[in-house]
Amino acid sequence: MWQQVELALSQSAHRVLFKLASFLPALLALFLAVLVLTAIGIGISALLRRILTSIRFDERVSRNQSGSVSDWAPSHSPTALVARTVFWACVVLGLFIGISAFDAAYPGEAPISLVVLPYLTHSVGAIILLIAGTVIARFLARSVLIGAVNAKLQYARFLSLGVKWLVLVLTAAMVLDHLQIGGVVVELAFGILFGGIVLTLALAVGLGSRDIVSRSLERNTDLAPDSIPSDADPKSPSMAETLRHF
Amino acid sequence: MASIQTNTDITSATAASTGGPLVSLAPLSPEALEATLANLALAFADQAVLVATPEAAPPDIAGSSIRLLPYTPTTVSSSPWVLTAADYLNALRLVQENQSSACLLLGAESQTLQPEVVRALATAATTSDLTVARYNLGPREGLVNSAILYPVTRALFAARPRFPLAIDLGLSRRMVERLAAEAQKINAGGQSDALIWPVAVAASANFTITEVDAGTRILPQPVASDLNSLLARIAGSLFSDVDARATFWQRARTSQAARPITQTNQPMESPSDVSSMLDAFQIAYTNLHEIWSLVLPPNSLLGLKRLAAMPSASFRMPDSLWARIVYDFILAYRLRTINRGHLLGALTPLYLAWAASHLLLISSGTPPEKHIEDLAAVFEADKPYLVSRWRWPDRFNP
Repeated sequence: MWQQVELALSQSAHRVLFKLASFLPALLALFLAVLVLTAIGIGISALLRRILTSIRFDERVSRNQSGSVSDWAPSHSPTALVARTVFWACVVLGLFIGISAFDAAYPGEAPISLVVLPYLTHSVGAIILLIAGTVIARFLARSVLIGAVNAKLQYARFLSLGVKWLVLVLTAAMVLDHLQIGGVVVELAFGILFGGIVLTLALAVGLGSRDIVSRSLERNTDLAPDSIPSDADPKSPSMAETLRHF
Repeated sequence: MASIQTNTDITSATAASTGGPLVSLAPLSPEALEATLANLALAFADQAVLVATPEAAPPDIAGSSIRLLPYTPTTVSSSPWVLTAADYLNALRLVQENQSSACLLLGAESQTLQPEVVRALATAATTSDLTVARYNLGPREGLVNSAILYPVTRALFAARPRFPLAIDLGLSRRMVERLAAEAQKINAGGQSDALIWPVAVAASANFTITEVDAGTRILPQPVASDLNSLLARIAGSLFSDVDARATFWQRARTSQAARPITQTNQPMESPSDVSSMLDAFQIAYTNLHEIWSLVLPPNSLLGLKRLAAMPSASFRMPDSLWARIVYDFILAYRLRTINRGHLLGALTPLYLAWAASHLLLISSGTPPEKHIEDLAAVFEADKPYLVSRWRWPDRFNP
């Protein structure tokens, strides 16, 4: 009996060691592919950066486009964005090649690339979605905040936060859907959250605008023909009209 | 008519004269065109003058010294209240076709210019590369010019014209060529409405600049009344020009003789109602602090905090604070710290705070011109800060 246990153990250890021995070269191939392509990406991106700087790419882009890519990611110049995109494209390519190499080097029954590659593609898509969603959320939140402040809306920050979270929730739902995580639960939760935020914003803006509407109505009543304020009245609205900024 | 030579670094003479003066008019209504031509006839009673007008059917001017030249503009500006790239391109075409040595560009509402002003502009244009009109505006007018355009242009480009974006200009032939070349660069990107800054162009080319007192004139107002978009357009264009000419203004010296204050504009008859502007600033202070903190150093933020706590009656924005704010916004524009549209939007409430402070100050008896000259002097004094941060933006800045 003891001999049988010993045999079972040695066979299982042999199987594990054999699998590990065949797995390690495949893993090494994966890492090597990623490393080489990353190095190539660094080289190409540095070369691109130098070339684009020498031809003044940023100036040309900002001159030719009123709403350029730098409007969305202001702290990054178009040159930096192009260089980084190329770098990350190389890294992703390295991952694909690495997984294929892993698949070829690893003698498993089910090819891993058939499962991993589509999921990796989805993951890359999800990461791009997440980055784009975050950038758009920040851009829209600031646009709404500044626009609302310049329109003298007291609840400007609240409005901006609402817009930001609307976009973020939408992004999160899209990312999860893209990764096929959660299924119906995500859709349901997204519907509830999105609807909740819209309802909250509508209520807040509606309630907050009561004063504006009543002031507007009062102003219309005040502007009846017999009560038009004279220019001599320093408190009259006409004082603001005579102000010329240009 | 008084004229001031504002730039004495003359290195070369104006282009040789090959013909008489050419006056280029902005599109005008028939009545306005008639009045303008009558003024031009008075201004050039003893001299033949060529008047280019985009009008199709000019009125009868028989018997005067004016020769009308109707023309079809190659590019049309949709902002007639200000001179744009399209105007300079049209001016170059006219100057080249008529072999003129100098050109007068008269903006919209030019019928309100006095004949002696037009004459003075034309006379100065024969001896100077750029002649800029200086208007006598009311204390509540031209506030963007007083707050940003004039102080920044004076401090950075060492040029004194009070209205860097004047719509009545006298230009030598080489100045027209220079401005058209700038316009051509911009026009290639399909932006015929883009602004060109003639004073900055002339200063960086070391051309002569003269200022002519134009007295009172009705300045055309923009059709769009939205201050945010207009301020973003004007300030954005200026900041972009500052960015493009950084190599020049970092070397330009600002030590020029102080301009004598000629208090000709009307004093404030009544205190201004600035509550709306102060409200805008207070709302912005509570909401935009996060965005301002990306652009402004802690010292300026502290100044704004103090400002927000001030009662309306004694609301005063120190000139040094305003100068720092404008310089930091120029830097943020260059560095793209935040989106440029957002940046210029965040400047609007700060500008309104300055305008409120200025109006309150002048209603307390301070002459408007004195305050504006003081402000410009502060901008000049603080220029090393901008130069330093321009060169080393990451250096510690309290």
